[in-house]
Amino acid sequence: MRVAQTDLPVLRPFRIGGGEREKWRLSARHGVFLAAAFVLSAGVAQAQSAPSAPAILATIWKWTPLLAEGFALNIAMSFLAMAIGTVAGVPLGLGQISLRRPVRDTSWVVTQFFRNSPWLVLLFYCMLLMPFEISIAGTTVSLPGWLKSTIGLSLPVMANVSELVRGAVRSIPYGQWEAAEAMAFSRSQTLRMVILPQCVKRMTPPWMNLYAILTVATPLTSVVGVSEAMTLTGDILSSEGRTELLVPMYLYLLLAFFLYCYPIARATVALERRFQVR
Amino acid sequence: MLNRVIAVIYAAALSAAFAAAPVAAQTLEKIKQRGVLVVGVKADYKPFGFRDPSGAIVGFEPDMAADVAKKLGVKLELEPVVSSNRMQFLQQGKIDLMIATMNDKPDRRKVVGIIDPLYYASGVNVLGNKKAALKNWEQLKGQKVCGIQGAWYNKPVAEKYGADIVAFKGQTEAETALLQGNCIGWVYDDTAFAERLADPKWKDFEMTLPTILEEPWGMAVKLEEREGEWGKFMSKFIADEHKSGRFIELEKKWKIPASAFLKKMHEEYKGKS
Repeated sequence: MRVAQTDLPVLRPFRIGGGEREKWRLSARHGVFLAAAFVLSAGVAQAQSAPSAPAILATIWKWTPLLAEGFALNIAMSFLAMAIGTVAGVPLGLGQISLRRPVRDTSWVVTQFFRNSPWLVLLFYCMLLMPFEISIAGTTVSLPGWLKSTIGLSLPVMANVSELVRGAVRSIPYGQWEAAEAMAFSRSQTLRMVILPQCVKRMTPPWMNLYAILTVATPLTSVVGVSEAMTLTGDILSSEGRTELLVPMYLYLLLAFFLYCYPIARATVALERRFQVR
Repeated sequence: MLNRVIAVIYAAALSAAFAAAPVAAQTLEKIKQRGVLVVGVKADYKPFGFRDPSGAIVGFEPDMAADVAKKLGVKLELEPVVSSNRMQFLQQGKIDLMIATMNDKPDRRKVVGIIDPLYYASGVNVLGNKKAALKNWEQLKGQKVCGIQGAWYNKPVAEKYGADIVAFKGQTEAETALLQGNCIGWVYDDTAFAERLADPKWKDFEMTLPTILEEPWGMAVKLEEREGEWGKFMSKFIADEHKSGRFIELEKKWKIPASAFLKKMHEEYKGKS
């Protein structure tokens, strides 16, 4: 039956979520596309290489253990930077909603500064301003490049987490505060027992999103000389000296990042659906 | 270009960092105390310094570094560096010694302590098609020769020998043009050709011209250490290696075409006691 056209001002039912947002997410289709691009480029490269040269896939396989080692460093850096950033970012975010003006303002300035600075610039500063070793009470602790750049990466993470916390607290309906006050909760009790538990739920999806962004940002550290997957890929390419290897090699690395980030992206979507405010 | 931008950022950040730089300890003493020598080498410049599938950095320069460590009786640690951070790592004290394909330039001498004598030299040469049978540079007159955009020697080669330089964006593009026969040869760093000549892909090509516009490479220590104990030790080390012909041996090991510079240095130091 055809639905009759009407001029009456009918309000269509409001739909939450829906497919609109989904299409921007990482999906299995992207993975298939990437894998196909990799296979295709390897095929093209194979056709370009000299008949006597070893097969492209065999060459890539030969270097895979080294590349995996580099990739493990990327993952380790992302874990550590996320941990440091979260531990530092939560108090900073709470500082932003402090009742004391100096605390609030300082937290705001710090957050805005690190949130709006280019990641690469922060990396350079951390790499160069921090000493390569520090002496604490006679013992010398060396600070390797990867650790310094992890700290560099954790600064913008901290600022982003700070904003997440502030936003999440602000998003809790004000009635919750009033209700808690009516039940004689103090401000800190309200925050601890009423507001923050609700925030955790809301913050988890964007927090995981931030983690995925951080993970794909770790190859930035190759610019400052950390021997992670991206640097090693460059080293491998120059070691092989085969121009045709360039495209398949980088696609291979891209595929590795996809395989790591894809489950995170799916889990984020699933959590978002589950925690949706209805 | 990106490298240059990075170098500028480095320089800017470093000038800010300088105030906090710790006072340098005597490097030689420090190395002996630690029992480890940290040398900055390239990891992306085959065959001078590159990675093998196990991830270890090997090559001409890492071998030199191993010789230094052996002479000192300490362990060797190789730190991969790139052109944009090698001098900064040295200044910071992150590396004790730098052997990283660095040309000896007056402005660099102001920043790091480049050790005399120099250890190697690269020059400009042509990877020519065997059909062109190049014997001397004058043969390039009026011929199409591939080159890389921005290479400083494109102009002198064009002016002095009348070559028609067709400049490409990168090595890959120049290689392709050369293989397709768009030019009779490719004018570039002679050291970059070393690797290619060993590859069967380039069997129809040769490097027969004498190397010109030679630029020596220097090892470096911290600027203030150049005249100190550590600098003197390195200076003596390099002189000894030239004398014994060890560098020539390493050159052969890594299948680098014999450089005129090493031969000349060997002759020069052989006579000295």
